This record gives sequence, structure tokens and C-alpha cells, in this order.
Amino acid sequence: MARDDVLAGQILLSVRDLTVQAEEDGKSRTILDRISFDLNPSQILSVIGESGSGKTVLARTLASWLSVPLRVTGGAIHFRGEDLISNPKFAKSLSGREIAYIGGNPAGALDPTMTVGAQLVEKLRAVRPDISKSDARDKAIALLKAVKIPAAERRFYEYPFQYSGGMMQRAMIVDALISDPALLIADNITQPLDVTVAAQILKLLRELNSEFSTAILFICSSLPVACDAADEVMVLHDGRVVERQVPAALVDAPQHSYTKGLIKELPTLWAEGKDESGTVKPDVGQPIMSVHGVAKHYETHGKSGWALVQAVRNVQFDVFRGDNFGIVGESGCGKSSLMRLLTGLERPDAGTILFQGENVGEASPKRLRQLRRKFQLVLQDPYGSLPPQSSIGSILEEPLIIHKIGSRAERRDKARAIMAEVGLPDNFYDRLPTGLSAGQRQRLNVGRAMILEPELLIMDETLSALDQTEQGKLLELFQRLQEEHGFTYIFISHDLTMVRQVCSRIAVMYLGETVEVASNERLFFDPGHPYSRALLSAAPTLEKRRYSPEKCLLEGEPPSPIDLPPGCAFANRCPHAFDRCMAETPKLLSRGDHALAACFLNE
Amino acid sequence: MFIVRFLIRRLLQGALIVFLVSALIFTLLRVVPGDPVRLMAGGMAPEALIEEIAQEMGLRDPIYQQFARYMGGVIQGDLGQSFVRPANGAAVGGASFDDSTRAARAEVWDLIAQTVPMTLQLALLSMIFALVIAVPIGVMGGLRPGKWPDRLALYLSSVFISLPNFWLGIVLALLLSVKLNLLPAIGYEGFAYTILPALVLAVEIAPFIIRTLTVSVANVMGQNFIDIAAVRGLTRNQIIFRHALKNSAIPLLNLLGVQFSMLLGGVLVIEFIFDYPGLGRLTINAVMQRDFPLIQGIAIVTAAAFVLINIVVDLCATAIDPRLDY
Repeated sequence: MARDDVLAGQILLSVRDLTVQAEEDGKSRTILDRISFDLNPSQILSVIGESGSGKTVLARTLASWLSVPLRVTGGAIHFRGEDLISNPKFAKSLSGREIAYIGGNPAGALDPTMTVGAQLVEKLRAVRPDISKSDARDKAIALLKAVKIPAAERRFYEYPFQYSGGMMQRAMIVDALISDPALLIADNITQPLDVTVAAQILKLLRELNSEFSTAILFICSSLPVACDAADEVMVLHDGRVVERQVPAALVDAPQHSYTKGLIKELPTLWAEGKDESGTVKPDVGQPIMSVHGVAKHYETHGKSGWALVQAVRNVQFDVFRGDNFGIVGESGCGKSSLMRLLTGLERPDAGTILFQGENVGEASPKRLRQLRRKFQLVLQDPYGSLPPQSSIGSILEEPLIIHKIGSRAERRDKARAIMAEVGLPDNFYDRLPTGLSAGQRQRLNVGRAMILEPELLIMDETLSALDQTEQGKLLELFQRLQEEHGFTYIFISHDLTMVRQVCSRIAVMYLGETVEVASNERLFFDPGHPYSRALLSAAPTLEKRRYSPEKCLLEGEPPSPIDLPPGCAFANRCPHAFDRCMAETPKLLSRGDHALAACFLNE
Repeated sequence: MFIVRFLIRRLLQGALIVFLVSALIFTLLRVVPGDPVRLMAGGMAPEALIEEIAQEMGLRDPIYQQFARYMGGVIQGDLGQSFVRPANGAAVGGASFDDSTRAARAEVWDLIAQTVPMTLQLALLSMIFALVIAVPIGVMGGLRPGKWPDRLALYLSSVFISLPNFWLGIVLALLLSVKLNLLPAIGYEGFAYTILPALVLAVEIAPFIIRTLTVSVANVMGQNFIDIAAVRGLTRNQIIFRHALKNSAIPLLNLLGVQFSMLLGGVLVIEFIFDYPGLGRLTINAVMQRDFPLIQGIAIVTAAAFVLINIVVDLCATAIDPRLDY
């Protein structure tokens, strides 16, 4: 576009040859390399790139929020024709008023000691001192309603910690829009949210965009989300803009090799010809682990007195030998509490967990220790789960010492053998885990779990801290180990695409209950529970969706596990709910072929 | 209602704590060697008379009976009578067992009630001095971690904390009262007599406040909501005064509660040096005279004060940060 358009005010934001460098120890590193693009009023432009591509630096530069060692070393940012780089004072006056910013961490974005409403008012009056307090309040409440926060008048007077993550992100959207900005920079705003909540936020953003005609720069690391959200997608790679297209064109005909690779690598949910060769067909006979009617609650106390958090309410599934069993659900659905029950770290309040016919929930501590040789756990956090002061060798040998297995030399040999198996170089034996990458740490964690030659490995979000490439490598490792040792895996995860790739059977959890258990194919092509459909409809994918979010999910948040409504827990978000769902809790019923679902529609 | 439930629960807990403290003090005082009657009646009193007085005061009853009787009085607000101090306020007696004034011994409650306001005045004033010195230094240090205000805060607290209070008291008295004749030092004849001891105490407390503030302000300034506030359009003054300071106030509040309790209960050395007629001096004398009822009374009153201060601090903390839950 020509410069004349800029001067005529046609273009809202015009970035030309923007270069940002980081200066450390006298050396300068180029983070953004001659970036140029234009943004029209009320346009949504997605910026996508892997971590380190400079997305966040771009967002911060536009919001005048660069801090040392980052520095703009060249180029210009014209906002309505006026340059922000040469006039930092003007740029500063725009921030929060004309250029609003929403970050990816809504939990810590507001002062925890002040009510959300007071802070919205404070912010509006900071950038528009001419607005009276009561006008500001009315506007905040109106916007809280516009972003569909229920009971907005009451919520206005609540504190940030009383909001859930999704609510808080809505409040931050209000915070950004309250000054009627012309440009909204949304930096990774859906990343920490659950898929169904993220889908709702995206929908909301589009609605607000057409209602308030705010231009949006949507920065994100997931291509499907970016394509969903925007009119156009700009791909950033190594600090450079490598291409810019409308989403459909980008997916069909990517120009740059980086984009091509990105699209090719993207796992699919429904594409035909899924590679079945790798997965071992589970032997459906005696289950290796059988969970029935398991429940666990925790007591908490707060200002309103004692309360019961029903973390796990009614979980039921069988895991067969050689299975890759997946447990999926969003945060707060009781996945991690269930993991603690399955591994015998805590005992269930009700129900049975049978491991090879023996009840883990009632085993004596001594027996439990013996049983644990056969089922091991690999945790989510690659950093917190390894002792920083022990060498890699002694980390691996510790389980053997605990279970009094082998002599010193035998343990040493065993540890080295395991290191080779999980792909850690032999010379790491005496090193501390400090220098390991996240992927290597998870390999070490897997090695530590498998050194006891267990039969069942429970993976609690083991891959969620890793990037896509690293995830792929570890999944290959898991598959190889399974072929060699005949492991059975339980994958606890929130990531549907991962589960789709590796699991043979999947349990879907919602608010502490298993609402559906089905084989992989069946769950993705013929889900038996509306929540499974909602989850599938919200999963980020470039494919043509089998289930559309509009039809599968109602506006709203999951109820609190402290204050559960009677009837089906999903009823308040379910488009198919009828009277009976509000009164009666549906039971898990068989749909044939070891598939279960808890919904009255199946009766 | 949260506040009512909170108060009921905390006051009940407090009553239990005070009861336990009383029981402990009461028992300990009675098992240590030394007969208080001997001290009261004087070394010259015949053994029979001592025994008679002891019987009459119930000091030969089993300890639990004495304790029950004592606590019965405490509940009605009667802390008993001093063993050695006469009600007319005359000098410490006890040498002459047939002294007629001995019959009317001073009420412990009165003795404490006379001195507590003095100590309270001293404690409050030193608290104010300490805050005036420490808050600006601490906040500046917290806003510029690693820079000169931070270093100044560190050096100044190191210097303050290494000055022994008795030495500082004597030096200041010499400097400000004797040489410059600015302030009175010894005894109490008016408000001015509080300033010098308060100053000494403030220097003692200030380093704790400075340290707590630099750490908590620096900590809060590093948090996400402060970082993002500028991008939201808030001014630096708004960020510091409305958000950063409020959020760093909780650790300070807890510290002030502890410090204030300590000031109430035990500014022994300072009150002794400046001959300040407060609770500290009363305690020293009571201990030296083996005045059991007075020691007990002081212990109960300070324990109750600790409990109340803690309740107030926690209540303030919940008012500042609604997430807290006591």
C-alpha cells in the first residue's frame, strides 16, 4: 500500500522496516528484522510463529513496552500517520487509551487486593480523566455484560481471585476495550485457557470486533487458532515476516518453506488413513487396571466456612494389557486427583481401583510399595520433578536402591542401559540434570520410571511442557519401549490431538466424572456424550470440523466442584439438556464394545 | 457474618492462651525456691509469724487450689494484691513486719493501670519515629533494587542494628540532654520525657522495617500486574502509591504487630536506663522483689495485649488483602 494512504488516515497502523535488537555483553542480537506491515481499522490480523520468532517482542514494541536490553534500532511505526518511534511521549500517551494490550497471563494481571470493578474504573479514569466515576462504573458494567460475564453488577465488586481463568481473561478484554481503543494487541490470550473456554473467548473477540470496530493484532503460536481468529495471518520466522495471506489461502497454498513445514507437521484429528501400524492391539481380556465408582473429596475452609470439594466423583474404566489409555479433560476436571488415587498416593473415599486384581486403595503401605514396582508415574513438570543436586546416574539408580535390587555394579550397568534406551548419551551419567533440556529431562523421568521394569506407566501431562517436535520424538520413544517391553500406558492429558495420535482407548472426564469411555475411532467419529462433542468442536485444528462450536457448546463456565448442581454436571452448557438432566444424574451405560457414556440421550 | 465469627473464634482462642500462660507462670513462680513471705515480713520476723501470715494468705494450700482461687479473682477483674507494695505508694517496704501500712497492700490492677498508659505512649511514639525513619528509606530501596537507595537502606540498617540500645541511650542522653540541653532524660514529668527513650527504641526497630519493606516492595514491583499496569495506561504514581505500597503492606503489618507487642511487654532496659515509669520498670522491680501477684498480673495483661494486637493485625491484613483467611 502506498504512503499516501497512511497520510490520508486509511491505514490505522503502518509498520516499516522495524528492527529491534537485544544488546547483551556488548554484542547485539537482532530480534526483529526489518518488519513491515499495515493494519486497517477494524481488521483482525494474526501473527504466528514459534517461540523465539519475535512475536511477543513485536507486541511489546507496538505497545511501547520494551525494556532493556531490547531496543528499537531502526524503522518506523506510524499510528494514524504519526510516528511512535520518533515521538515516545506520544506513544506513551496512546498506551492503554488508543492502543490496548492483553497478555497471556490473566491470573496475575490485576492487583489482587482491589476489586476488579475498581481497577476497571481506575484504568479508564487514568487515560480519560474527564469521565466521571459513575459513568466509568456504568461503562465497565455494560462491557462486563458485553463479554458475557454472568451477574455483571455483582461481579464488578468481586476480587480477581474470585474469577476463574476464563472470566479473568474476559475482564482483561473489558479492561482493554473500556477506553474505546482503535487497536487491540492480544498477545497469546488463549494459551493458558482450556480449549472450550478458549473457543468461547475467540468467538467473543470476533463479536466485539464487529461491534466496536477495533482493529486486533492477534498474536499466537498455534496455527489453527490463528486461522480461526483472523481475517489475515502473518507468519513470523526468525524475526522476519515470511508471508501474509488470508487463512484459507495460507493453508491451501503456503508460500514459504517454514509455513509449509508447519502445516505438514500439524497433527490431524479426523483425516483419513490414520497410521494404525504402530499401535499394539490391546488384548481385551482381563484388565490390568480396573477402576470402579472411585470418588475423592477434599475439605477446604474459607471465609464462608467449611466446604467440600468433590474432586473425583464417579470414575469408571478398565485398562487392558497393551492399551494406550487416554484420560482427557479440562483443568479442574479431577485428572490430577485421579492420578494420585491410581498411584496409591492417596486413598479413595469410595470405589475400587484394582491393579491386576488387587485393590490399590486398600493395600497396606508395605504392599503398596511392592505394587509400585509394577506401576510407575511420570510427571508433568520436567524441572520440578528432578532433584537438582543429584547426578543423572544416581537419580536413575535411586528406585533400585529403594527396592533393594542388585549390587552397586549391577545398578550402575542397569542405569547405563536405561540411559541408552531412552536416548541419553552415556557421558551424562555423572552430570547433574541442570544442563538438560526439557525433552531430555522427560526422557530421564521416563527412564527413572521404567528402571524397575513396571508393567503400567502412568503419564500425567508428561508431554505438555514440550514443543511439537520434541513431543513427536518422545512419542516415538514410548512406542518403541512399548514394543520392546510390553508396557501399558495411561496418558493423562488435556491435549486432544496428542491423545488422538497415540491412544487406543480414551476416557473423557468432566467435573470429576468419567462421562464417556470409548475407543479412539469411536470417540472422534461417534462421541456418545455432548461434552465429548463440545471438546472436539473446540479442539484447535485446520481440518473441516465434524462438530461446530456453535452447535455443541453453550456460553458459560463449568460449575464449581464445591457447589455442584443436582443432575448432570454438564447440563448448564449442554445444547441438548432437557428437564430430566437438571434433576437426575445420568449413569454410565454401555454402548457396546467396551464403550460407555453417561447421557440420557443414549437410552 | 465473617467478622463476628472471626472475633468470637479468635477471642476464645485468646482466652485459652491467656489461661495457659497464667497457669504456667503461676506454677513456675511457686516451684522456684525462696519464700515470698520471708521477703514481705522481713528477715527479722519470727518463724511463727511467717507461718501465720502464709496460712492466712493461703500460700500453704496446694498449688491448684491457690490457682483456682486466683483465677476466680482474675475473671472478676481482681488480679490480687501486691505482696510488698503498700497502697499509699510509699517506698518499697517489708523490712518492718509490724508496719501498720502493710495491712493495706496495693492492688495489682491499680499498679498496672498506672504504668500501662506510660508504656503505651512510649511504644506508640517510638513506632511513629521508626516508621518516619524507615518507610521512605525502605520504599526507595525497594523501588530501585541494586541501586544506591537499596544500598543506602542496607548500610543504614546494618549500622542501626549494630548499635546496642543501652549504649545509644546513654550517648543520646549525654548529647541531647547534658550537652545540648534539648530534651529531658531521666524520670517523667511530662510528654517531653518520652521523646529520648522513644528515639532510642525507634533506631532499634527501624532496621527491621527497612529490611521488610525493601524486600516486599521489590517483590511486588516485580509482579505481573505492576508490570502490565503501565501498558494499561496507569501513571507511575498510581502504580506505586495505589498498588505497590498496598500490596507490600502485609509483611510490614505483621512485623509491626510483633514489634509493638515486644515494645509493650519488654522495653525493660530502656525504661530502666531512663528511669521511665512504665510497665518495664514495674516488671524489673516486681521480679527483684519476688512480688508474685504483680509478676502474674503483668504476665496476664501482656499476654492479653499480645492476643488483642494479633487479632487487630490479622483483621487489618484481611481488610488490605481479601485473599487472606485467618
